[in-house]
Amino acid sequence: MARVYQVPRHAFPWLLAGALLASLPHLWRGPLWLAVAVPVLLGWRTLIQRGLLAMPGKLIRFPLLLAVVGATLYSHGTVLGPEAGVTLLVAAFALKMLEMFRLRDAYVAIILASFVLATTFLFSRDPLTTLYIGSALVVVMAALVGINDPESGVSPWRHLRQSGVMVLQALPLMLVFFVLVPRMPPLWNLQVNQQQAKTGMSDSMSPGEISRLSRQSGIAFRVEFDGEVPPPAQRYWRGLTYGWFDGRRWSQALPPEVRQQEYLHFANGPPPEWYEQLLAERGEPDWRYRVVMERTGQQWLYALSVPFSNRQEVGLARDLRLVRRTDIESTFDYQVDSYQMPVARQGLADWERRFYTSLPQQGGNPRARQMASEWRAGASGDAAYITRLLLWFNQEEFYYTLEPPLLGENTVDEFLFRTRRGFCEHYASSFAFMLRAAGIPARIVAGYQGGELNPLGNHLLVRQYDAHVWVEAWLQGQGWVEFDPTGAVAPTRIEQGLDAALAEYGESALTGLAGALRGVPLFARLSLLADYIEFGWAKWVLGYSQQNQLEFLSRWLGKVTPQRMVMALAAVGGVIMLAMLLWMLWRVRRPRLVWWQREHRRMTQMLSRRGVPLAPHLTTAQIVQIASQYFPAASQPLQDWQRCYDTIAYRKEITEPMVLRRQLRGLRRRVGRRLIRPMSLNPNPDQQREA
Amino acid sequence: MSTTISRAITAVSSVVLGKDEQIRLAVACMLARGHLLIEDLPGMGKTTLAHALARVFSLDYRRVQFTSDMLPADILGVSIYDPDTRQFQLRQGPVFAQLLLADEVNRATPKTQGALLEAMEERQVTLDGVSRPLPEPFFVIATQNPVTQAGTFPLPESQLDRFLMRISLGYPSAETELALLSGSDRRDHASTMKPEISSAELMQQMALVGKVHASADLIDYVQRLLAHSRDSGLFVVGLSPRAGLGLLRAARAWALLAGRDYVTPEDVQVVLGPVTAHRIQASTGGASATSTQQLLEAVPVVRRS
Repeated sequence: MARVYQVPRHAFPWLLAGALLASLPHLWRGPLWLAVAVPVLLGWRTLIQRGLLAMPGKLIRFPLLLAVVGATLYSHGTVLGPEAGVTLLVAAFALKMLEMFRLRDAYVAIILASFVLATTFLFSRDPLTTLYIGSALVVVMAALVGINDPESGVSPWRHLRQSGVMVLQALPLMLVFFVLVPRMPPLWNLQVNQQQAKTGMSDSMSPGEISRLSRQSGIAFRVEFDGEVPPPAQRYWRGLTYGWFDGRRWSQALPPEVRQQEYLHFANGPPPEWYEQLLAERGEPDWRYRVVMERTGQQWLYALSVPFSNRQEVGLARDLRLVRRTDIESTFDYQVDSYQMPVARQGLADWERRFYTSLPQQGGNPRARQMASEWRAGASGDAAYITRLLLWFNQEEFYYTLEPPLLGENTVDEFLFRTRRGFCEHYASSFAFMLRAAGIPARIVAGYQGGELNPLGNHLLVRQYDAHVWVEAWLQGQGWVEFDPTGAVAPTRIEQGLDAALAEYGESALTGLAGALRGVPLFARLSLLADYIEFGWAKWVLGYSQQNQLEFLSRWLGKVTPQRMVMALAAVGGVIMLAMLLWMLWRVRRPRLVWWQREHRRMTQMLSRRGVPLAPHLTTAQIVQIASQYFPAASQPLQDWQRCYDTIAYRKEITEPMVLRRQLRGLRRRVGRRLIRPMSLNPNPDQQREA
Repeated sequence: MSTTISRAITAVSSVVLGKDEQIRLAVACMLARGHLLIEDLPGMGKTTLAHALARVFSLDYRRVQFTSDMLPADILGVSIYDPDTRQFQLRQGPVFAQLLLADEVNRATPKTQGALLEAMEERQVTLDGVSRPLPEPFFVIATQNPVTQAGTFPLPESQLDRFLMRISLGYPSAETELALLSGSDRRDHASTMKPEISSAELMQQMALVGKVHASADLIDYVQRLLAHSRDSGLFVVGLSPRAGLGLLRAARAWALLAGRDYVTPEDVQVVLGPVTAHRIQASTGGASATSTQQLLEAVPVVRRS
């Protein structure tokens, strides 16, 4: 007769818990029906295990499967792709638990649980998620230990403990693999975050967009400086420039005659003229730093003044900003050397002068245009005109606010002469307009300004609410010069950040809980710590890319060749395995004590520490007798302990090992509590030994 | 422990005064199907003890006084030609008894001793080529004078090994001796004792001994005792496997006497001296009782690592 390989009963708690823990992150994220279905199915399985329900037959299971596929199609429109696929996987996994009859099915369930766990990484890779997945893995592995434990009636906690030990033992090897196994570009690109919105700056700006961004506290990027961190007023993180104004919206656009290859230079292409000129003119770098960016779904990178990066996939645009070849879909880090804005020896190209002074043909904003031409005519030069304009912003009744009134047709006129309440985009936009109206080439720069210094890691933390726009103007003989009209209106914004600036006007960027918590010192310190940990994680784990690996390994291996990598892997892995083997051999050499023998040792050690003279050859009855003379108060629990121990160690069969184990431990602790020596009844130990 | 056995023990101790420990050991030895060697000076109550045990357990009892001119046939029996039937007929010797008291066994020649010890081990006697089983139960209580006395043939170690236990009675305490002296002759007492337990019942109890549970922990303790006797260098020769089996069997019987169905290390420790003292010899040449005490103290009861 063929043997039926049953799933041991004691493995079920961890099988079910593992299934639940593995699905849990997906329930959070997935469609609602999944969050209902999985607990119901697992609960059903629990009832079956309890013997309250029978295993469902094929007639029930098959329609259930169809329903799951149908529901997936309904909520995702497809069963393909990562998100729909994971939904289907999780639901099918819960269904699989309903047909877990044999040991083989349990193995399948455990493999599925591990796979479902791994898919969590598709959606989140932060340290907390990793910690969660690690702990859930321990539970899933406990189920694996459980189904391989032939002993029946064992406490499930023992399986969990063993599984925990095994996972911990696997850690060193995992680290070695992480560091040494060659990183390969993904074989296929899973567009997991396609539906996820792009974050941060966009390639165009209309009034109200930046202020919307300023209400988000999400992290844009973190920066680690080699050396001094620049003061807040110099932290202008350039990301994009907007050169085209259509009367309402500023956008990133190029005139059709400009060729992309000449405008944007990557390391592997032929360097254009302007690039070589920059290289020739640059001196020593002013700042050297590493930026670790969060996912944005866009190509823009952020850096100070004129940046050069070491990365192959990072290029420099003619408007002096860094651009990545592909969108940033996961944590990305790059090293930057920043130089001062060069003093331009040559003028602008013709197209540049045309482009950066262009305004909508059909007019609009007549008052602003008129004021610009009058003031420019009255000024001695471009610089004097700009100074007068900034002074005007500073002295007139302009307000800095997150909630500006809506503007109509002529945005600049209405803002400058009527509402006078605006956010940085209003100031930058109208300022650039006024420059162009006076014939001065100008463009808007979008990026971030400021950032919070985390003293733990000495790195800058730049959040979405640090988003900012300002203006660059071309001055003859000087080149592009930064001007920040917002700084003229609200200098606090530049020096101390958004919150402080808004506070002067009685506003707050972050509303609700996040805003309230920011004021609590403990929370502030905790969030600094969390930021520090996350930064380390992003730098060392998520940012450990192919290029970083090459750089890291070449420090140890010299030239990195496949042979050397394999050899290093084999050597380090071998050393670790050998160490583990030796340790295991050492463990096997000494016979393990059973739990009651360990318990006996604890008891005798405790008594010896308290001064009871005990020899190893004494039987439990003799131990108890001697100890009772020293500690009469403990006499009763000592006797109970002895009876319990003798029953376990010498009686025929123990029916309830767990009960007895707990009882023995409890009695030992009770003895421990009673080990109080009464001063008046203190027996003379020497006499006792005689007796 | 069955009440009948405890009654029997009480009855014996009313005759052999103040020797409760030795009486219990002797009874345990019987329950464990072992033979007993009592080593003591003459007149310490050895014969009285044997006689009393035979009476209370209602055993068929014979006594042989060993002398230096004794021959094996004097113990085993002899075939005599019967002129009437013209056949040889066996005269069974004293060994065909349920309890044989072999008094002063070390006075006989090794040849005679050997015949007895062989019968003890085999529980059968071969005469004229025919094997004859000895009665059930079959015990031998041998007494021996200390070997320092003149005119004795000390039993060699190999033959001492046949005895499960060796005990000695020793002088009585002062009050026991007073009671002894003021009372009547103990041997008369012994011959008038009533049987307390039938031999069938005794057999039943003997069968129970094998069922007393010895746990893995306990067997481990016994094994470590044996191993230590061999490895420690304390002794000239270590304990034999037979000694180990005997030790465990004696401990089982002792546990049964204590009314338990499982053996504890106490049981082993109590019988360790009587079971092993005559089988090992301290390498320093000291008294064997001291060396068994050394052995006991050197081995931890519960594994420590």
